[in-house]
Amino acid sequence: MEKELWPRNEADLCIRCAACMAICPVSRVTPLFPGPKQAGPGAQRFRRPDEPSMDPWIDLCIGCQLCDMVCAAGVPISELNLIAKAKYLDEKGRPLRDWLLTHTHLFGSLGSMFSPIVNFFLKNRAFRWLLDVTFQIDRRRVLPAYESPTFRQWFRQHRSQGEKKVAYFYGCFTNTNEVDVGKATVEVLEANGFEVVLPRQQCCGIPMLGNGNFRGAHKIGAKNVPPLLEAVRSGMEVVFSSTSCGHMIRHEYDHLLHLEGAKEVSSHLFDLMEFLRNLHESGHLRSPFQKTPLKVAYFAPCHLKSLGIGFPTLPILRLVPGLSVENVEAHCCGLGGTFGFKKEKYDISEEIGRDLARALSAIEPDMVLSECEGCRMQIRHLTGLRTLHPIQLLRDALSR
Amino acid sequence: MHFDLIVIGMGLTGLMAAKTAAERKKKVLLIGKGFGTLTLFSNTIDLMGILPEEVPVKESLPLWIEEHPDHPYGKVGMEKIEEALSSFLSFFPPPYTFQSRNGANSLVPTGAGTLRPTYLIPSTMMKGIGLREKKALIVGFKGYKDFYPHRFSDLFRCRAMTVDLEEAHGAEVSATTLARWMEEPSFRQRLTEGIKKEWKGEPLLGFPALLGLRDPMVVRRDLEKRTGASIFEIPVLPPSMPGMRIFNTFREKLIRMGVTFLLGQSVSRLLLRGDRCEGVEVAHAPLVNTYTGERILLATGRFIGGGLRADSSRIEEPLLGLPVTQPPSREGWFEEAFFASSGHPVHRAGVVVDSMFRPLNEGGKPIFENVWVAGTILAHHDSLYEKSKEGIEIATGYTAALKALGG
Amino acid sequence: MKTETEVLIVGGGATGVGLARDLSLRGVSTALVEKGDFASGASGRNHGLLHSGGRYAVSDPVAARECIAENRILKRIAPHCVEETEGLFVSLPEDGVDFQNRFLQACRNAEIPATLLSRDEALHLEPNLHPDILGAVKVPDGAVDPFTLVVENVRDAEAHGARLLPHTTITSLLVEGKRLRGVTIKDRITGEEGTIEAPWVINATGAWANELLSLAGLRIGMALSKGTLLVTNHRLTHRVINRCRPPSDGDIIVPNDAVSILGTTSVRVKTPEDFLPTTEEVDLLVRETSRMVPQIRDARLIRAYAGIRPLFQTEGANDDRQISRGFALIDHGRRDGLHGLITITGGKLITYRLMAEKTSDLVCEKMGRPTPCTTHLRPLPGAATRQRFSERLKKMNRGFSVEGGEILCDCELIQRNEVGNLLKGQTLRDLQDILHRTRLAKGTCQGGFCVYRLLGLLHEARRVEGDSNLVLKQFLEERWRGIRPILWGVAMKEEELIESIYRGLFNL
Repeated sequence: MEKELWPRNEADLCIRCAACMAICPVSRVTPLFPGPKQAGPGAQRFRRPDEPSMDPWIDLCIGCQLCDMVCAAGVPISELNLIAKAKYLDEKGRPLRDWLLTHTHLFGSLGSMFSPIVNFFLKNRAFRWLLDVTFQIDRRRVLPAYESPTFRQWFRQHRSQGEKKVAYFYGCFTNTNEVDVGKATVEVLEANGFEVVLPRQQCCGIPMLGNGNFRGAHKIGAKNVPPLLEAVRSGMEVVFSSTSCGHMIRHEYDHLLHLEGAKEVSSHLFDLMEFLRNLHESGHLRSPFQKTPLKVAYFAPCHLKSLGIGFPTLPILRLVPGLSVENVEAHCCGLGGTFGFKKEKYDISEEIGRDLARALSAIEPDMVLSECEGCRMQIRHLTGLRTLHPIQLLRDALSR
Repeated sequence: MHFDLIVIGMGLTGLMAAKTAAERKKKVLLIGKGFGTLTLFSNTIDLMGILPEEVPVKESLPLWIEEHPDHPYGKVGMEKIEEALSSFLSFFPPPYTFQSRNGANSLVPTGAGTLRPTYLIPSTMMKGIGLREKKALIVGFKGYKDFYPHRFSDLFRCRAMTVDLEEAHGAEVSATTLARWMEEPSFRQRLTEGIKKEWKGEPLLGFPALLGLRDPMVVRRDLEKRTGASIFEIPVLPPSMPGMRIFNTFREKLIRMGVTFLLGQSVSRLLLRGDRCEGVEVAHAPLVNTYTGERILLATGRFIGGGLRADSSRIEEPLLGLPVTQPPSREGWFEEAFFASSGHPVHRAGVVVDSMFRPLNEGGKPIFENVWVAGTILAHHDSLYEKSKEGIEIATGYTAALKALGG
Repeated sequence: MKTETEVLIVGGGATGVGLARDLSLRGVSTALVEKGDFASGASGRNHGLLHSGGRYAVSDPVAARECIAENRILKRIAPHCVEETEGLFVSLPEDGVDFQNRFLQACRNAEIPATLLSRDEALHLEPNLHPDILGAVKVPDGAVDPFTLVVENVRDAEAHGARLLPHTTITSLLVEGKRLRGVTIKDRITGEEGTIEAPWVINATGAWANELLSLAGLRIGMALSKGTLLVTNHRLTHRVINRCRPPSDGDIIVPNDAVSILGTTSVRVKTPEDFLPTTEEVDLLVRETSRMVPQIRDARLIRAYAGIRPLFQTEGANDDRQISRGFALIDHGRRDGLHGLITITGGKLITYRLMAEKTSDLVCEKMGRPTPCTTHLRPLPGAATRQRFSERLKKMNRGFSVEGGEILCDCELIQRNEVGNLLKGQTLRDLQDILHRTRLAKGTCQGGFCVYRLLGLLHEARRVEGDSNLVLKQFLEERWRGIRPILWGVAMKEEELIESIYRGLFNL
């Protein structure tokens, strides 16, 4: 743990008002996690960087950052938690499972190439039981299927044309597990006159960072920045369709990982729906959306909220005639990236998600939209409802 | 992005201002960190608690305002106060609504075993007003450390019991956990079975204010059905679930009305050009995002919210450097006794505005063309002493927004 | 109530309880009365520094030698009351290297282990030190928990037959001719009156020495000096940081559990009850100590408090620091013709044991029963139980609340059962007595949430008499005395929160 990273006085800002406790999804469902007030600034007074960690419950912080959003005093609670988590896990050692969960990008292409077999195993009960018992990956968790060809492979066969170029950071999940999100992004951007360019890219590194692996995240981030910087310096803006990847690159690359060049990239990096909203605001959005008589529920992911751009999807969806949109009132889906895959955290993840499931069932939508692949996975898992990225609905509404 | 109105501050003042503008079809940006003080102290809606109980506020408040013209209410007037309260209430249609008793203040029991005067009371707390006249059983929860039914009931001379919840497995339980469990019918079943073991048929059953977040009236109705008693909630230490209900309702409805709801962001700078404010900058490392707007409304609260900031010698308004009227030195901020009867002078410090809610310079002239200030940041009130916090927030948030929109 | 004893000690500070322990270990029948709770005077209101003696090395070598000897003894007999932090004497450019050299030599002369560190070495050990420092001298300073130290002496004394009566005042002295025969007493809480007959009465009342002596028309020359101290929200340094220059205001920073204590000042006062820190003192302390640790300028403070030092005055000195911190034993038989009364005055916390030893030696000699002192050899009762403050974090681990009950004090991590255990088997007369014996309410919010909870618990245990909200209000009023002097910055937010809860929400 680098000495510079150890927080100094931010915990002093806490006035113990417990507003954070009102919103924390984890402490609401389990007493094993003492809640942000205690886990963050409360515990910080007792932590010493030169002494062993004594806070095993810190691993239960899901990293949703909702506590930060409601702390009027400005305590960076989730950051305090993450740094403490990193120290704790550095000392305790990380199981192989965590390495597997945070390095799925290494197996992505293989998974895709052999997708029929891989998917068979991923669905197979006996195999999942084996994963549970050997690696503590909960057998009840539905593992995302691989698709073939990958998004990148599809794009190679695709000829993108447009008046202006835009770079697209698609994220490893889109690449190997939800290719249609990538396709829809490309199609809608092209429909708006953009030629889409794919800079060289790896996993953004958020699974590693979320698991307190600063070193690993830094290493992989350092590979991502130069191609993005090149794209930006050549006059392109960059969009991302996954709010988790986006938040990681736009904020954590500079703020937590201190990657050189990240700041410059950040100022030209946009959430896809934010990008469309900006186009709309300046009157440049081509929106010949066809009538789509559907009732959709929209769920804003935690990382979208922490991007601090509001919910750009909502005004765009309002442009689709016939579409009825309900914003879902629930704070966190509970998956938390790799969190909900872990056996010791699965039940917590599900319990958090139940509030969302209940809110959705009250709405009875035809489909659910959300910009985060984790939330989409969780919503499908909890409700069985058809769940898409908003861009997919927009693409459908364009081409109908 | 360009807005008709940018409201800075997500407490009750800012929420009301945003509502007022959004209802008039304006494009609103609401930006702030936290819930204001809703989850801290707001359980009921105070208006002017020091007014006598028996008199309808319609009669007593205008007289009080006449005697205190500098008070924020002085810039609102009774008519607008009533309008503002109606507007607030329109977000809370029955069954979960807020009511006064005969248009006057009432005394509600608090978790410390005291009574506090207030005006509008949520439906889940109404029946607590009858506590001194009827027999009651007060219920606490083992492991929930922010409410002590025995101490409470000792002071009110009723009975108390502590429920040992199986689901808690002997561990500590938080307010949000309990509020969530309350929303499960099976939990309520087990709870009422446990209560019935000690209940002697008292007509009133009191609980800490945790009767669910989403549907407190469903929870209460069910508990009443299962017990046959009248149920009421009691305000306790923060976090306040009733305050959270207010916030959640506003949030849900404002988003539906198209308000850009930036919860979790803090304005770092206002963009000024001469005597106009063109917009706000929001620092979100490493970026600085800019939002421009026609009108800016500051509802940043007092010290907790960062609306006022004190260094070791002065109190300042950090965003615009607005003049803050204050005691001449730090020595004069607080009295020597904590429970000083007239309150502490520093509570009356704040930003001075004209009748249009525009902030004034030292010479008494409005500083900006398009900036309005509302809420507890205003000078010449002491909401702790007066018991007027939510009333000031609602009334000034509403009225300042109207003034900003030219009304 | 009438009691007879061989020695009556008046005053329940460190010296008084140290005496009770020493005498009872020597087999002398001993009683002690204290008008408040133990350590309610200077013993409970200091910076908790376990001197190495460095501070006196240059100005008072005898005192320095006493200090280092007692330092070692206390570390041996009371390891659970002491944190062996080490200390640094840092030199800033304006202090000059000359004094540092003198200091180093003086330490060596007094046999205080002292090591010279370069600037880089010092900054490596304590990164929060001012980057301008020239260097530092490392000495074996430590941090002591004065209240626990006092209470442990109480326990040991009681275990050896002494009777200690807190919350008991002396209403009159029983003088027969030229002898003091005993005292009349009154219990401050029950109002019960009584008499204690003792051939020897020792006045160990510290700053209140003359209050007691006046009952016999006597007086000693004494100056009262107020020292204000500030408490920071978190621990800024892990070692004691001293300024390497002649002792002055604001030259010490002491780590204490999860916080740092900044001190101190020296203001002449007239009465021992003048305990309030002033704005000037607070501002001075922040200014001066931030020369050593710059972060202090913006650090969050959570409390200010003051203690009164009794300084035995020989004749006419004005700067209180020049009056010897050594102590004086006054035999009033010899000095004033009133036999049976001895006053022990002056001194500092760390030499309490030595003061008690010398006094006990004198009394035992006068009683014709010279017995050797053993207090330096025998460990204090709880000596085996020692816990680092960082271990309290474990309270939040799985099963914590199942075993120990819920955490009442979120800031200092104090559980229900800890308080419950306190309530058993101890005469705790009021809320302050309880608060003295636990770290509850000593953290960031200074009891804002936990005292409300504590009252609920006390009520359940049927330990509250009368209106419990009155107790709550009294607590908040007492708390305010420590908060008001440091109200600016983040502390203003904290106060707005606490006041809004108790005056607003609860309408107390």
